[in-house]
Amino acid sequence: MSNDFYKTSIIPYSGIIIKLCRAYTNSQEDFEDYFQEVCLQIWRSKENFREESEWSTWVYRISLNVCLTLLKKKKKNRQHFVSDSITTEETEDNYAFSDESLNLLYDAIRKLSEIDRAIIMLYLEEKSYQEIADIMGTNSNNIGVRVKRIKTKLKKILDGKIN
Amino acid sequence: MERSIENIWKEGFLKSDALVAPTINNLYTKKSIHIIDKFKRMFKINLIAIVAFSFIFLIASFFVGIPITGILFFMTLTVLVIINKSLLKGLEKIDKGLSSYQYLKAFNQWIEKQVTINKSFASFMYPIIFLSMVIGFWFKDAEGIPLGKRLISEVLKGFPDIYLIYGIPLIAIIAVLLIASLLAIFGGKIYQWDLYLVYGRVFKKLKELMADIEELKN
Repeated sequence: MSNDFYKTSIIPYSGIIIKLCRAYTNSQEDFEDYFQEVCLQIWRSKENFREESEWSTWVYRISLNVCLTLLKKKKKNRQHFVSDSITTEETEDNYAFSDESLNLLYDAIRKLSEIDRAIIMLYLEEKSYQEIADIMGTNSNNIGVRVKRIKTKLKKILDGKIN
Repeated sequence: MERSIENIWKEGFLKSDALVAPTINNLYTKKSIHIIDKFKRMFKINLIAIVAFSFIFLIASFFVGIPITGILFFMTLTVLVIINKSLLKGLEKIDKGLSSYQYLKAFNQWIEKQVTINKSFASFMYPIIFLSMVIGFWFKDAEGIPLGKRLISEVLKGFPDIYLIYGIPLIAIIAVLLIASLLAIFGGKIYQWDLYLVYGRVFKKLKELMADIEELKN
Protein backbone atom coordinates (compact mmCIF):
# COMPACT_ATOMS: atom_id res chain seq x y z
CA MET A 1 0.00 0.00 0.00
CA SER A 2 1.56 3.30 -0.98
CA ASN A 3 2.17 5.95 1.63
CA ASP A 4 0.22 8.48 -0.42
CA PHE A 5 -2.86 6.32 -0.55
CA TYR A 6 -2.61 5.67 3.17
CA LYS A 7 -2.27 9.38 3.95
CA THR A 8 -4.98 10.66 1.62
CA SER A 9 -7.55 7.91 1.51
CA ILE A 10 -7.26 6.09 4.80
CA ILE A 11 -5.92 8.38 7.51
CA PRO A 12 -8.73 10.98 7.11
CA TYR A 13 -11.25 8.16 7.56
CA SER A 14 -9.31 6.17 10.14
CA GLY A 15 -11.71 7.38 12.82
CA ILE A 16 -14.53 5.35 11.32
CA ILE A 17 -12.31 2.30 10.90
CA ILE A 18 -10.97 2.51 14.44
CA LYS A 19 -14.45 2.89 15.95
CA LEU A 20 -15.79 -0.04 14.02
CA CYS A 21 -12.83 -2.34 14.63
CA ARG A 22 -13.03 -1.57 18.35
CA ALA A 23 -16.68 -2.63 18.37
CA TYR A 24 -15.86 -6.05 16.94
CA THR A 25 -12.74 -6.84 18.96
CA ASN A 26 -11.88 -7.37 22.60
CA SER A 27 -8.14 -6.95 22.62
CA GLN A 28 -5.54 -4.54 21.30
CA GLU A 29 -3.91 -7.33 19.28
CA ASP A 30 -7.17 -8.25 17.55
CA PHE A 31 -7.96 -4.59 17.02
CA GLU A 32 -4.63 -4.03 15.24
CA ASP A 33 -5.15 -7.12 13.08
CA TYR A 34 -8.65 -6.00 12.10
CA PHE A 35 -7.48 -2.46 11.42
CA GLN A 36 -4.63 -3.62 9.20
CA GLU A 37 -6.82 -6.03 7.30
CA VAL A 38 -9.45 -3.33 6.71
CA CYS A 39 -6.79 -0.94 5.39
CA LEU A 40 -5.43 -3.61 3.09
CA GLN A 41 -8.86 -4.46 1.73
CA ILE A 42 -9.68 -0.78 1.17
CA TRP A 43 -6.47 -0.45 -0.80
CA ARG A 44 -7.16 -3.63 -2.77
CA SER A 45 -10.69 -2.64 -3.68
CA LYS A 46 -9.91 0.99 -4.52
CA GLU A 47 -10.30 0.18 -8.22
CA ASN A 48 -13.88 -0.92 -7.61
CA PHE A 49 -14.95 2.43 -6.15
CA ARG A 50 -17.40 3.89 -8.66
CA GLU A 51 -18.06 7.19 -6.86
CA GLU A 52 -21.74 6.29 -6.61
CA SER A 53 -21.48 6.92 -2.89
CA GLU A 54 -19.15 8.95 -0.70
CA TRP A 55 -15.68 7.55 -0.10
CA SER A 56 -16.48 7.45 3.65
CA THR A 57 -19.53 5.25 2.96
CA TRP A 58 -17.38 3.00 0.80
CA VAL A 59 -14.79 2.81 3.59
CA TYR A 60 -17.52 2.01 6.08
CA ARG A 61 -18.93 -0.73 3.90
CA ILE A 62 -15.56 -2.41 3.44
CA SER A 63 -14.68 -2.03 7.12
CA LEU A 64 -17.96 -3.61 8.13
CA ASN A 65 -17.62 -6.50 5.70
CA VAL A 66 -14.04 -7.19 6.75
CA CYS A 67 -14.92 -7.07 10.46
CA LEU A 68 -17.86 -9.42 10.00
CA THR A 69 -15.76 -11.82 7.89
CA LEU A 70 -12.92 -11.85 10.41
CA LEU A 71 -15.36 -12.34 13.26
CA LYS A 72 -16.92 -15.28 11.44
CA LYS A 73 -13.49 -16.77 10.80
CA LYS A 74 -12.58 -16.34 14.44
CA LYS A 75 -15.77 -18.04 15.60
CA LYS A 76 -15.19 -20.89 13.17
CA ASN A 77 -11.63 -21.36 14.43
CA ARG A 78 -12.84 -21.34 18.00
CA GLN A 79 -15.43 -24.00 17.21
CA HIS A 80 -12.73 -26.01 15.47
CA PHE A 81 -10.50 -25.82 18.54
CA VAL A 82 -13.34 -26.71 20.90
CA SER A 83 -14.25 -29.72 18.78
CA ASP A 84 -10.58 -30.74 18.99
CA SER A 85 -10.94 -30.62 22.80
CA ILE A 86 -8.42 -27.85 23.15
CA THR A 87 -9.66 -25.28 25.57
CA THR A 88 -9.30 -21.76 24.38
CA GLU A 89 -10.19 -18.63 26.21
CA GLU A 90 -10.98 -15.31 24.66
CA THR A 91 -7.97 -13.12 25.28
CA GLU A 92 -9.03 -9.78 26.59
CA ASP A 93 -6.43 -7.24 27.46
CA ASN A 94 -9.00 -4.76 28.70
CA TYR A 95 -8.09 -2.06 26.23
CA ALA A 96 -9.53 1.12 27.64
CA PHE A 97 -10.14 4.65 26.45
CA SER A 98 -9.43 7.34 29.00
CA ASP A 99 -13.14 8.20 28.99
CA GLU A 100 -14.86 5.75 31.32
CA SER A 101 -18.33 6.37 29.89
CA LEU A 102 -17.05 5.57 26.40
CA ASN A 103 -15.58 2.32 27.72
CA LEU A 104 -18.93 1.38 29.22
CA LEU A 105 -20.72 2.28 26.02
CA TYR A 106 -18.30 0.15 23.97
CA ASP A 107 -18.77 -2.78 26.34
CA ALA A 108 -22.51 -2.41 25.89
CA ILE A 109 -22.21 -2.20 22.09
CA ARG A 110 -20.11 -5.40 22.05
CA LYS A 111 -23.01 -7.15 23.76
CA LEU A 112 -25.30 -6.44 20.80
CA SER A 113 -25.70 -8.72 17.82
CA GLU A 114 -23.26 -8.18 14.92
CA ILE A 115 -25.85 -6.40 12.78
CA ASP A 116 -27.16 -4.25 15.63
CA ARG A 117 -23.58 -3.21 16.33
CA ALA A 118 -23.18 -2.07 12.74
CA ILE A 119 -26.46 -0.14 12.75
CA ILE A 120 -25.81 1.70 16.00
CA MET A 121 -22.28 2.59 14.94
CA LEU A 122 -23.61 4.12 11.72
CA TYR A 123 -26.29 5.93 13.68
CA LEU A 124 -23.73 7.30 16.15
CA GLU A 125 -21.63 8.41 13.19
CA GLU A 126 -24.64 10.54 12.25
CA LYS A 127 -25.45 8.68 9.06
CA SER A 128 -29.04 9.22 7.95
CA TYR A 129 -31.50 6.34 8.17
CA GLN A 130 -31.48 6.21 4.40
CA GLU A 131 -27.67 5.93 4.26
CA ILE A 132 -27.74 3.21 6.91
CA ALA A 133 -30.46 1.42 4.99
CA ASP A 134 -28.38 1.63 1.79
CA ILE A 135 -25.33 0.20 3.51
CA MET A 136 -27.26 -2.53 5.28
CA GLY A 137 -29.47 -3.35 2.31
CA THR A 138 -32.83 -2.65 3.92
CA ASN A 139 -35.35 0.25 4.07
CA SER A 140 -35.14 3.37 6.18
CA ASN A 141 -38.35 2.64 8.15
CA ASN A 142 -36.89 -0.62 9.30
CA ILE A 143 -33.71 1.14 10.38
CA GLY A 144 -35.68 3.75 12.33
CA VAL A 145 -37.51 1.08 14.33
CA ARG A 146 -34.33 -0.93 14.82
CA VAL A 147 -32.31 2.08 16.05
CA LYS A 148 -34.96 2.83 18.67
CA ARG A 149 -34.91 -0.76 19.84
CA ILE A 150 -31.10 -0.87 19.98
CA LYS A 151 -30.93 2.38 21.93
CA THR A 152 -33.38 0.98 24.51
CA LYS A 153 -31.29 -2.18 24.73
CA LEU A 154 -28.10 -0.17 25.18
CA LYS A 155 -29.68 1.99 27.83
CA LYS A 156 -30.75 -1.09 29.76
CA ILE A 157 -27.25 -2.58 29.59
CA LEU A 158 -25.68 0.74 30.63
CA ASP A 159 -28.17 1.25 33.49
CA GLY A 160 -27.42 -2.25 34.72
CA LYS A 161 -23.69 -1.50 34.71
CA ILE A 162 -23.93 1.89 36.30
CA ASN A 163 -26.29 0.68 39.02
CA MET B 1 -27.40 14.93 34.53
CA GLU B 2 -27.58 11.63 32.67
CA ARG B 3 -25.72 11.68 29.33
CA SER B 4 -27.29 10.29 26.20
CA ILE B 5 -25.40 7.64 24.26
CA GLU B 6 -24.97 10.16 21.44
CA ASN B 7 -23.19 12.54 23.82
CA ILE B 8 -21.05 9.82 25.36
CA TRP B 9 -19.99 8.88 21.82
CA LYS B 10 -19.23 12.41 20.66
CA GLU B 11 -17.46 13.57 23.80
CA GLY B 12 -15.57 10.32 24.28
CA PHE B 13 -13.90 10.65 20.92
CA LEU B 14 -12.87 14.25 21.48
CA LYS B 15 -10.09 12.99 23.76
CA SER B 16 -6.79 12.57 21.97
CA ASP B 17 -6.13 8.93 22.81
CA ALA B 18 -9.41 7.61 21.45
CA LEU B 19 -8.62 7.58 17.76
CA VAL B 20 -4.97 6.68 17.46
CA ALA B 21 -4.48 4.52 14.38
CA PRO B 22 -2.12 1.60 14.79
CA THR B 23 0.88 1.55 12.48
CA ILE B 24 0.70 -0.78 9.53
CA ASN B 25 3.98 -2.60 9.62
CA ASN B 26 3.94 -6.32 9.90
CA LEU B 27 0.76 -7.22 8.08
CA TYR B 28 2.55 -8.79 5.12
CA THR B 29 4.97 -10.65 7.37
CA LYS B 30 2.06 -12.10 9.32
CA LYS B 31 0.21 -13.03 6.15
CA SER B 32 3.29 -14.61 4.57
CA ILE B 33 4.00 -16.72 7.63
CA HIS B 34 0.34 -17.67 7.86
CA ILE B 35 0.15 -18.83 4.23
CA ILE B 36 3.37 -20.80 4.41
CA ASP B 37 2.44 -22.37 7.75
CA LYS B 38 -0.85 -23.42 6.21
CA PHE B 39 0.96 -24.99 3.28
CA LYS B 40 3.36 -26.81 5.64
CA ARG B 41 0.42 -28.19 7.65
CA MET B 42 -1.33 -29.39 4.49
CA PHE B 43 1.89 -30.86 3.12
CA LYS B 44 2.56 -32.83 6.34
CA ILE B 45 -1.05 -34.10 6.45
CA ASN B 46 -0.72 -35.16 2.83
CA LEU B 47 2.45 -37.14 3.56
CA ILE B 48 0.85 -38.82 6.58
CA ALA B 49 -2.16 -39.71 4.43
CA ILE B 50 0.12 -41.27 1.78
CA VAL B 51 1.94 -43.34 4.42
CA ALA B 52 -1.36 -44.49 5.96
CA PHE B 53 -2.83 -45.33 2.56
CA SER B 54 0.24 -47.30 1.43
CA PHE B 55 0.16 -49.37 4.66
CA ILE B 56 -3.56 -50.08 4.33
CA PHE B 57 -3.14 -50.97 0.66
CA LEU B 58 -0.19 -53.27 1.47
CA ILE B 59 -2.23 -55.20 4.04
CA ALA B 60 -5.33 -55.27 1.84
CA SER B 61 -3.31 -56.53 -1.15
CA PHE B 62 -2.38 -59.72 0.76
CA PHE B 63 -6.04 -60.38 1.55
CA VAL B 64 -7.14 -59.71 -2.03
CA GLY B 65 -4.35 -61.92 -3.40
CA ILE B 66 -2.32 -59.24 -5.20
CA PRO B 67 0.68 -58.90 -2.82
CA ILE B 68 3.06 -57.98 -5.66
CA THR B 69 0.92 -54.90 -6.38
CA GLY B 70 0.79 -54.05 -2.67
CA ILE B 71 4.55 -54.39 -2.20
CA LEU B 72 5.47 -52.40 -5.33
CA PHE B 73 2.89 -49.77 -4.47
CA PHE B 74 4.21 -49.54 -0.92
CA MET B 75 7.83 -49.26 -2.07
CA THR B 76 7.03 -46.56 -4.64
CA LEU B 77 5.02 -44.48 -2.19
CA THR B 78 7.71 -44.91 0.47
CA VAL B 79 10.29 -43.45 -1.91
CA LEU B 80 7.86 -40.60 -2.66
CA VAL B 81 7.41 -39.88 1.06
CA ILE B 82 11.17 -40.03 1.74
CA ILE B 83 11.89 -37.59 -1.09
CA ASN B 84 9.22 -35.16 0.09
CA LYS B 85 10.23 -35.52 3.73
CA SER B 86 13.74 -34.40 2.83
CA LEU B 87 12.28 -31.56 0.73
CA LEU B 88 10.23 -30.50 3.74
CA LYS B 89 13.43 -30.17 5.78
CA GLY B 90 14.57 -27.57 3.26
CA LEU B 91 11.32 -25.69 3.77
CA GLU B 92 11.80 -25.67 7.54
CA LYS B 93 15.20 -24.07 7.01
CA ILE B 94 13.72 -20.91 5.45
CA ASP B 95 14.41 -18.13 7.92
CA LYS B 96 11.24 -16.56 9.30
CA GLY B 97 13.27 -13.48 10.14
CA LEU B 98 13.58 -12.58 6.45
CA SER B 99 11.48 -9.74 5.10
CA SER B 100 8.07 -10.93 3.93
CA TYR B 101 9.03 -10.53 0.27
CA GLN B 102 12.28 -12.47 0.68
CA TYR B 103 10.43 -15.07 2.73
CA LEU B 104 7.82 -15.54 0.01
CA LYS B 105 10.51 -15.62 -2.67
CA ALA B 106 12.42 -18.30 -0.77
CA PHE B 107 9.20 -20.27 -0.41
CA ASN B 108 8.43 -19.86 -4.09
CA GLN B 109 11.88 -21.15 -5.01
CA TRP B 110 11.32 -24.12 -2.73
CA ILE B 111 7.96 -24.82 -4.41
CA GLU B 112 9.58 -24.68 -7.86
CA LYS B 113 12.30 -27.12 -6.76
CA GLN B 114 9.71 -29.39 -5.16
CA VAL B 115 7.53 -29.38 -8.28
CA THR B 116 10.50 -30.14 -10.58
CA ILE B 117 11.65 -33.09 -8.47
CA ASN B 118 8.15 -34.48 -8.00
CA LYS B 119 7.32 -34.06 -11.68
CA SER B 120 10.36 -36.14 -12.65
CA PHE B 121 9.48 -38.71 -10.02
CA ALA B 122 5.87 -38.83 -11.23
CA SER B 123 7.11 -39.86 -14.69
CA PHE B 124 8.37 -43.06 -13.08
CA MET B 125 5.80 -43.42 -10.33
CA TYR B 126 2.62 -43.59 -12.42
CA PRO B 127 3.96 -46.21 -14.87
CA ILE B 128 5.35 -48.26 -11.95
CA ILE B 129 1.99 -48.14 -10.18
CA PHE B 130 0.24 -49.20 -13.39
CA LEU B 131 2.72 -52.02 -14.05
CA SER B 132 2.46 -53.17 -10.42
CA MET B 133 -1.30 -53.50 -10.92
CA VAL B 134 -0.83 -55.47 -14.15
CA ILE B 135 1.81 -57.78 -12.64
CA GLY B 136 -0.17 -58.16 -9.40
CA PHE B 137 -3.31 -59.26 -11.20
CA TRP B 138 -1.29 -61.39 -13.64
CA PHE B 139 0.04 -63.52 -10.79
CA LYS B 140 -3.18 -63.48 -8.76
CA ASP B 141 -4.17 -67.03 -7.95
CA ALA B 142 -7.19 -68.20 -9.93
CA GLU B 143 -8.07 -71.71 -8.83
CA GLY B 144 -4.51 -73.00 -8.75
CA ILE B 145 -3.06 -71.15 -11.76
CA PRO B 146 -2.09 -67.46 -12.19
CA LEU B 147 -4.94 -65.27 -13.45
CA GLY B 148 -2.82 -64.08 -16.41
CA LYS B 149 -2.22 -67.59 -17.73
CA ARG B 150 -5.83 -68.48 -17.25
CA LEU B 151 -6.86 -65.38 -19.17
CA ILE B 152 -4.51 -66.21 -22.05
CA SER B 153 -5.81 -69.77 -22.33
CA GLU B 154 -9.32 -68.34 -22.54
CA VAL B 155 -8.21 -65.84 -25.23
CA LEU B 156 -6.45 -68.59 -27.19
CA LYS B 157 -9.67 -70.57 -27.30
CA GLY B 158 -11.34 -67.69 -29.12
CA PHE B 159 -8.28 -66.51 -31.15
CA PRO B 160 -5.96 -69.49 -31.68
CA ASP B 161 -3.86 -67.61 -34.29
CA ILE B 162 -2.94 -64.73 -32.00
CA TYR B 163 0.77 -63.87 -32.02
CA LEU B 164 2.50 -64.64 -28.70
CA ILE B 165 5.84 -63.51 -27.25
CA TYR B 166 6.98 -65.68 -24.34
CA GLY B 167 3.41 -66.92 -24.08
CA ILE B 168 1.88 -63.44 -23.86
CA PRO B 169 -0.22 -61.95 -26.69
CA LEU B 170 1.72 -59.25 -28.54
CA ILE B 171 -1.33 -56.99 -28.57
CA ALA B 172 -1.49 -57.13 -24.75
CA ILE B 173 2.22 -56.28 -24.48
CA ILE B 174 1.77 -53.34 -26.84
CA ALA B 175 -1.29 -52.09 -24.91
CA VAL B 176 0.51 -52.28 -21.56
CA LEU B 177 3.63 -50.58 -22.92
CA LEU B 178 1.54 -47.90 -24.59
CA ILE B 179 -0.35 -47.09 -21.39
CA ALA B 180 2.89 -47.12 -19.36
CA SER B 181 4.54 -44.79 -21.90
CA LEU B 182 1.58 -42.40 -21.85
CA LEU B 183 1.71 -42.36 -18.05
CA ALA B 184 5.45 -41.64 -18.20
CA ILE B 185 4.90 -38.81 -20.68
CA PHE B 186 1.95 -37.27 -18.85
CA GLY B 187 3.07 -38.21 -15.32
CA GLY B 188 4.39 -34.71 -14.71
CA LYS B 189 1.16 -33.13 -15.91
CA ILE B 190 -0.94 -35.49 -13.77
CA TYR B 191 1.19 -34.59 -10.76
CA GLN B 192 0.78 -30.86 -11.46
CA TRP B 193 -2.99 -31.25 -11.82
CA ASP B 194 -3.10 -33.19 -8.54
CA LEU B 195 -0.92 -30.56 -6.84
CA TYR B 196 -3.17 -27.67 -7.88
CA LEU B 197 -6.24 -29.62 -6.86
CA VAL B 198 -4.90 -29.87 -3.31
CA TYR B 199 -2.89 -26.68 -2.91
CA GLY B 200 -4.41 -24.46 -5.61
CA ARG B 201 -6.00 -21.99 -3.17
CA VAL B 202 -2.78 -21.59 -1.20
CA PHE B 203 -0.81 -20.95 -4.39
CA LYS B 204 -3.38 -18.40 -5.53
CA LYS B 205 -3.11 -16.51 -2.24
CA LEU B 206 0.65 -16.66 -2.43
CA LYS B 207 0.61 -15.20 -5.94
CA GLU B 208 -1.73 -12.37 -4.88
CA LEU B 209 0.39 -11.56 -1.87
CA MET B 210 3.59 -11.46 -3.91
CA ALA B 211 1.90 -9.24 -6.50
CA ASP B 212 0.78 -6.89 -3.70
CA ILE B 213 4.25 -6.65 -2.24
CA GLU B 214 5.83 -6.19 -5.65
CA GLU B 215 3.41 -3.35 -6.39
CA LEU B 216 4.31 -1.85 -3.05
CA LYS B 217 8.00 -1.99 -3.84
CA ASN B 218 7.59 -0.26 -7.20
